[in-house]
Amino acid sequence: MSALISLKKLKKVFSTEEVDTHALSDIDLEIKSGEYVCISGPSGCGKSTLLSILGLLDTPSGGSFILNGTDVCELDAKQRADVRKKEVGFVFQSFNLISDLTVEENVELPLTYRKELSKAERESMVANALEKVDMAHRRKHYPSQLSGGQQQRVAVARAVVGNPSIILADEPTGNLDSKNAEQVMSLLDQLHGEGATICMVTHDPRGVKRAKRSVEIFDGRVVADSSLSRPKKTEQSEKELATEATVA
Amino acid sequence: MNFFADLKVTFRSMRRNFRFSLLAIFVMTSGLSLSIYMFSFLYNTLSAPLPFDQGERVRKLQPITSTNQFLSFRLSDYQDMAKSQTTFDVFDTYYNRRRNLVSSDRSFRDRVFYVNPPFFEVSNARPLKGRVINQDDMLPGAAPVVVIGEHIWDNLYGGADDVLGKELRIENKPFTIVGVMPATYRFPDYAKIWAPFDMTTQGINRSNVPYASVYGRLKEGVSDEQAEADLVQIMEQIALEYPELNEGESVIVTTFQKLAAMTTDTLILAMQLCVGLVLLLACINTGNLLLSRALEKSKESAIRTAMGATRGVLVTQVMMEAVLICLISGVLSLMIVSLSLEGSLTALKSMFLGSEPPYWWRFELTLESYLAAIFMTVATAVITGLLPAIKATKGDVSSILRDGTRGAQSFQSGRLSKLIVISEVALSSALLLIATSVALSVIEKNHTDYGIRLDGYLTAEVSLNRSDYRTDERRLSFFQKLEQELEKQPGVDDVSFTRMVPITWARVEQFEVEGVDYGKDPKYPRPEIVTVSNDYFSTVEIKLFEGRTFSEQDRADTPLVAIVSQNFIKKYMNGEPALGKRIKLARSGSDWYTIVGVVNDVTHGWPYSYNIERPSVFVNLQQNPERAMSVVIKTANDPNLLRETLRRVAFEVEPNAPLFNVLTMERNHERAVADINFISRLFILFAIASMILAFSGIYGVMAYTVTQKTQEIGVRRALGADNQEIHVHFLKQGAIQLITGLLVGIPVGIGLLNMLIQSELVSFSAMIFILVPLAISLTIVIAVANPVRKVLKLEPIHALRYE
Repeated sequence: MSALISLKKLKKVFSTEEVDTHALSDIDLEIKSGEYVCISGPSGCGKSTLLSILGLLDTPSGGSFILNGTDVCELDAKQRADVRKKEVGFVFQSFNLISDLTVEENVELPLTYRKELSKAERESMVANALEKVDMAHRRKHYPSQLSGGQQQRVAVARAVVGNPSIILADEPTGNLDSKNAEQVMSLLDQLHGEGATICMVTHDPRGVKRAKRSVEIFDGRVVADSSLSRPKKTEQSEKELATEATVA
Repeated sequence: MNFFADLKVTFRSMRRNFRFSLLAIFVMTSGLSLSIYMFSFLYNTLSAPLPFDQGERVRKLQPITSTNQFLSFRLSDYQDMAKSQTTFDVFDTYYNRRRNLVSSDRSFRDRVFYVNPPFFEVSNARPLKGRVINQDDMLPGAAPVVVIGEHIWDNLYGGADDVLGKELRIENKPFTIVGVMPATYRFPDYAKIWAPFDMTTQGINRSNVPYASVYGRLKEGVSDEQAEADLVQIMEQIALEYPELNEGESVIVTTFQKLAAMTTDTLILAMQLCVGLVLLLACINTGNLLLSRALEKSKESAIRTAMGATRGVLVTQVMMEAVLICLISGVLSLMIVSLSLEGSLTALKSMFLGSEPPYWWRFELTLESYLAAIFMTVATAVITGLLPAIKATKGDVSSILRDGTRGAQSFQSGRLSKLIVISEVALSSALLLIATSVALSVIEKNHTDYGIRLDGYLTAEVSLNRSDYRTDERRLSFFQKLEQELEKQPGVDDVSFTRMVPITWARVEQFEVEGVDYGKDPKYPRPEIVTVSNDYFSTVEIKLFEGRTFSEQDRADTPLVAIVSQNFIKKYMNGEPALGKRIKLARSGSDWYTIVGVVNDVTHGWPYSYNIERPSVFVNLQQNPERAMSVVIKTANDPNLLRETLRRVAFEVEPNAPLFNVLTMERNHERAVADINFISRLFILFAIASMILAFSGIYGVMAYTVTQKTQEIGVRRALGADNQEIHVHFLKQGAIQLITGLLVGIPVGIGLLNMLIQSELVSFSAMIFILVPLAISLTIVIAVANPVRKVLKLEPIHALRYE
């Protein structure tokens, strides 16, 4: 499989008046299409910074970053926005749904920035995505009317609605209780099963176990990169998923 | 925490947020200053009682017909009203005339007020020296007496102790000075000389009796409406008795103050509305600033609640900041107003040139101003503080503390800020519409074409004594002599005479054109009639289009001739050839005037449309030698340099006919537009204030909203929105608020404009309806684009993590 993402000698330095902080130093990393990668490490090690750069939300200070064959370091702001809307789907720790928009409007949001899609196309894509995360029945609700787990499922739907090349998830279970966390993780599993490339930052060990490959970062450097065998779904988690679906 | 501890915390927080506090104080001070100023100005000139005991009960009466309001009553009508009225405890009459006055060594012209003894009783007159006019002075055959003001005593008699008993000649008749009034006493408005009332109805046909002003003091507890109802009934009775004289005549009860203000109720109402709108804008702005601060502090409020503070305590704390801001602004405003009131006096004095503002006008902060200031400050503090305080302390404490309801709260405050922007747009567009319309019309009036040249002329009025100048020959020879003498003076290029200098005033008469049938109920042409000397047209550069101007060949013994303006022909003669046609004064046995020339349109009177559009008929001084004329001197130098020359020459020619209203032609024009300029300056001030307030308000709200949405912008960018799409998104939101605001504001503005249209203070122009929305749209664009641009400068990830 060809590399979807290829990082070479990637650096990120935060400069203040007094001191330069090296958040990332000489990161070499390749992610192939269809992989399920988990980036882990202690607080402040640089994993979120790495994810931001992967999602083109932040620019590296040095090194190269090839996404789907394009050197994204060379792109201007508009081109980067273009790449984001087509190639990347985000799931954030704090959901980051827009409070003035309904569930379906939130999910539709990334599609509205893609002029090539007609209204009908957008509607069917939104319906599909909501179906996938089992939130179609709540599509007219506002985020404030949903539980944390439900909000995060909507956020996942928003991340996958445009069929991005890669889903970037930043501590997607960080704000959730264990039951809801489990559901979201299962959802990501399911998406991976359907062929999605996922790159997730977490320090939740349960999350780490679910990924197929674990990249460990410490002080801005990759210190371990290992393929993991994916544990089988437990019967219990299957049941839990079913219960929640009926409750919701 | 007790009150003082709270106060200390509030002060500390205001100091920490110095720029914020400064902005809030600035906004509030602008609003309060304008409001207190307008209140003080309008109250002191219009509503404050006359400055003597029971001055609040003194009223002036005005005769009215269905179309007109007049200032004086037929004396016989006054006498009938005085006999029958039941609502006034004093009911009196007086009149005033400009008179030629001569002391032992000086002559001048001023108004003399002819009054009855109750005049001084009502107005609490306390003479500085001597006495006031009493009943004995009113008896037939009594020696003529006069009471003078301190000004006259100082200027004419050098403040001499033995002034009582000295002589003052009025129209060449001797009067003995019996009293001196203090400079502070100028009743009824700006009087300096008072003489016994001398009009009578005895032996005079009712249709020929003279006219006089009527005033009175209401009985205690009687309202204006009651008094008016009583008098209206009496006038109806009179009209039944003398239908040919009084048909359709009635009376209204008003005040000296209102009459002196030379303004209309609608103009005052419009000003009050404007200033109200400005204050409202200021309140909304400050309230919004305080709200945003209170919302920022909602976590602090939640912590306080968790520590046991009641909602009342929290509300008090937020309110305290509002009270402090309004208090500081109130004090600053009083200082600003006190200074600007002094400035207004100077501005207004230029309006009253030739006379003076009424003596009760006070350009200082009075007790009423202070009370109004206190009331406005307290009211604004409550308006600006209460809503934010309630709103900010309403949050769900535990969720605020858990920091999880950011979405829900911004949803609410988002709606409120949209409402604020809409109201700001509505208020400022209404205000801007009015202010720009007024400013436009004033600019038009300032550039009025009166049909003459304005620069390089000195004008003055002169009025000859009736007794000395009974014959036409004497009058003519006076004007000829004055002209000859003036033309000899260095710097004088040309001298001529006119009954009235254009711009200043007009005498309107009914005319008929020969051969025109005006029907059964004739509506005769009403042009102005102006008597001029032969070379007047060339002196002031009025253009001759047809025929000839007046010349030496037009004399008393030759046929009467007239020159008309172009609009006379257009309006009254269907544009047909006018030369050789004849006109005459309607309803009178006057002779026919033959039209010998046609000149350009000339405006007599102040530049209002009814004056500008009214045609003129010029007649020849040699054929109509009048007693009162204006002299017009043309010079290549500064006309002011000729003032002394003119005075000296006029005194040499006739010491008993002093010149008055000695003004350059340009000054006449300035005087004609002084009041509208003053009013327009106020309106322009409203416009500037509203523009500043609206801009700072809209910008503040928009910037705050955008900052609140920093995270949302981050999310949108993460989802693929580029900078342009973000801008468009926020501009679209702004556009909805803009359009809603304009849809409310523009009709309100048009409504207010309609109120003003009669006063000719506004001029409608399509440009306004383009420029005003454009200016406000620009404000919105800047207010949206700038903060958005700032947020877009952040990397999306920083925007996402923005707290």
